Amino acid sequence: MAFTSFRFVIFLAFAVAAYFLTPKRCRWVTLFVANYVFYLISGGKFFVYLLATTVTTYVATVRLGNMAAKNKEAFTKAKETLDKEGKKAWKADFTRKKRRVLIPALLFNFGILAVLKYSAFVTGNLNLLFAKLGIGTELPLFRFLLPLGISFYTFQSMGYLIDVYREKVEPERNFAKLALFISFFPQIVQGPIGRFNALAEQLYRPNEFSYERMKFGIQLMLWGAFKKMVIADRVAVMVDTIFGFPETFGGCYVAVAALGYCIQIYGDFSGGIDIAAGAAQIFGITLEKNFERPYLATSIPDFWRRWHITLGAWFRDYVFYPLSLSKFFMKLGKKGRKFLGNYVGKLLPVLIPQFIVFFLIGIWHGAEWKYIAFGVYNGSLIVLGILFEQPLQNLAKKLSIRMDCFSWRLFQVLRTLVLVALGKIITRAPGVGASAYMMRSMVENWDTDIFFQGGLLTLGLDHKDLWIFFLSCCVLLTVSLMQEKGIAVREALAKQNLYFRWVIYICAVFSLILFGMYGLQYDASDFIYRGF
Amino acid sequence: MEALMRILTELRPDVDFEGNKELVDGGELDSFDIVSLVGELCEEYDIEIGADDIVPENFNSVEAIWNLVQKLQED
Repeated sequence: MAFTSFRFVIFLAFAVAAYFLTPKRCRWVTLFVANYVFYLISGGKFFVYLLATTVTTYVATVRLGNMAAKNKEAFTKAKETLDKEGKKAWKADFTRKKRRVLIPALLFNFGILAVLKYSAFVTGNLNLLFAKLGIGTELPLFRFLLPLGISFYTFQSMGYLIDVYREKVEPERNFAKLALFISFFPQIVQGPIGRFNALAEQLYRPNEFSYERMKFGIQLMLWGAFKKMVIADRVAVMVDTIFGFPETFGGCYVAVAALGYCIQIYGDFSGGIDIAAGAAQIFGITLEKNFERPYLATSIPDFWRRWHITLGAWFRDYVFYPLSLSKFFMKLGKKGRKFLGNYVGKLLPVLIPQFIVFFLIGIWHGAEWKYIAFGVYNGSLIVLGILFEQPLQNLAKKLSIRMDCFSWRLFQVLRTLVLVALGKIITRAPGVGASAYMMRSMVENWDTDIFFQGGLLTLGLDHKDLWIFFLSCCVLLTVSLMQEKGIAVREALAKQNLYFRWVIYICAVFSLILFGMYGLQYDASDFIYRGF
Repeated sequence: MEALMRILTELRPDVDFEGNKELVDGGELDSFDIVSLVGELCEEYDIEIGADDIVPENFNSVEAIWNLVQKLQED
C-alpha cells in the first residue's frame, strides 16, 4: 500500500478514527492492530519475518532484563567484599554472560537480512570467480523477495536490543507493546529508524485528539506528496532516459542527469518521510528527524549529518563508537602516535572505523558492486577530508581567503553538491563500469546541446513539465532556505489570516491533482528507499 | 578539573566550554571530537570509557564530563 495511493489515505482515515474512538487505555491496542493490518495488506506472507524478529528481540531483551535485575541484586550484596579489581572482574564476567544472549539474537536477525538481501550477490560472484579459476562448481542462485521494510525494522529492533544490553532502557515485557514499537506503520516502510527511548512511550500513551496536530500532520503529508509526485516523479522521467542509455548521452547531459537524480532522490525519500511524519503527527506521535536540508551542507561530513540522519546516528552509536573505542583501536592510536606522529596517530581510531561505517552504509543500500563503490567513495572522501583539513586551512590563510563570508559558504555548498552528485552517479548508473564511463564522458564529450539545441525537450518532459519542475524546485528551495534561517514554515503559515491560509491549502491540493505525475506507466508505490 | 579543561581547550580551541550545557546537543562536539576526547581522558585518568558511556548527557558540559570521569574512577 503506497503512501501516495488513495488506499493509504482511506486506511489512515480509518486507523485515525478507530484510534480516537477507542477508550483511552486501549488506544495502543488499536494502533498495534492497525500496524499488523497494514503489514498484512502491504507485505502479505512476509509478515512471518517481521514476527520472527519481534519474537527473538522480545525473548532476548526480557532475558537480558532479568539477568540485569539479578546481577544488580547480587552485586549490591557482594559489593562490600570486593576490591577495585574484584569489581572489574565481576563486571567483565557479567558482560560475557550478557553477550551470550546478545550475539545469537544479533546473528539471527542480521543473518535473515543478510541471507535475503545478499545471498544472490555472493553466490553469483562466487560462480564468476569459480568460472575464472576454471573450477567446474556452480552454486545455485537463491533470489529472495525482500520483506517490506526489513532493512528498517531490523535496524530499529536491533538498536533496541543493544540499548537493553547496555542497560540504557528497560526491556518491554508486554509482547504486543514491543510488536507495536517494531511495526509502527508510517515508519516501517522506509524509516525513520526510531529509538526506543524516544518513540515507545509516545506509542503506548493514550494520545488526545488535537485539531492543530491533525492540521499540521495533513499539511506535512501534502508537502511530502508534493515533493514526491510533483518534483521527484517528474524529474525521474528525464533521469531515467539519460541513465537508461549511458552510451548515447555525454557531457552536460550526464551533469543534468546527476543533478536531476539528486533532486529526485531527495524529493522521493524526504517526501516519503514527510508523509510518514505527518501521518504519525495526526496520532500525536513525533518521529525523529531524518533530513535537514542536505544540499545546503558545506562538507561531506556535514551532508551525512543532514541526510538520512537516523541511519547515520544508528551506525554512529552501534558501530562507530564501539569500534573506535575498542581496545584494539585505542592501542592502534597509541602506536600510531609513536610511529606516525601525534596528528595521524590521534586520527587513526577515527579514520578506520569511519571508513568501515561508510563501507557498511554502502552495503546497506543493496547487494551490488555499485553500492560497495558508493561506500568506498564516501568513506574515502571523509578520510581525505579529515586528513587534509588542517593543511587546507593553512593554505587558505596563506592565500588570504576569507572564510567568514557568503561567497565562501556558497563555494562550500556547491563543492559539496558536486561531490554528492558524483556519488549519485555511482548509485544510479546500471553498474560500476557504466558510472565510470558516464563520468568520463561528462568530461571528455562536452556536449552542450541539452541547453542550446533543445536537447532538454528530447528527454521525455515537454515545456510545460519543465516549467512545473523548475517552479516547484523554486518553492522547495525557498522553503528550505526559510527553514535554514530557523523559520518554522507551518507555524508561520498558521499565523496568517484565514483567507490567505485557505488559498495556500487549495493551491497545494490542486497542484497535487493537476501537476502530480499519474498515468498508466506510473506506479506511485515506487519509493526508491522502499527497495533498500 | 584543570587537566580536563586543558584537554578540552587543546582539542577544540575554538569552543567556549565554560557554561556551555549543550556541547553535544548543540553540535559543538562531533563524534570525532568525542573519540579523541575519550582517548585523552582514558590516558589522563586511567579509566575505561566504553561505547555504553557515550550518551550526550555525559558530554554536554564540562561538569557532566567531570562527573563521568569521577564515576568511572570510583567504579
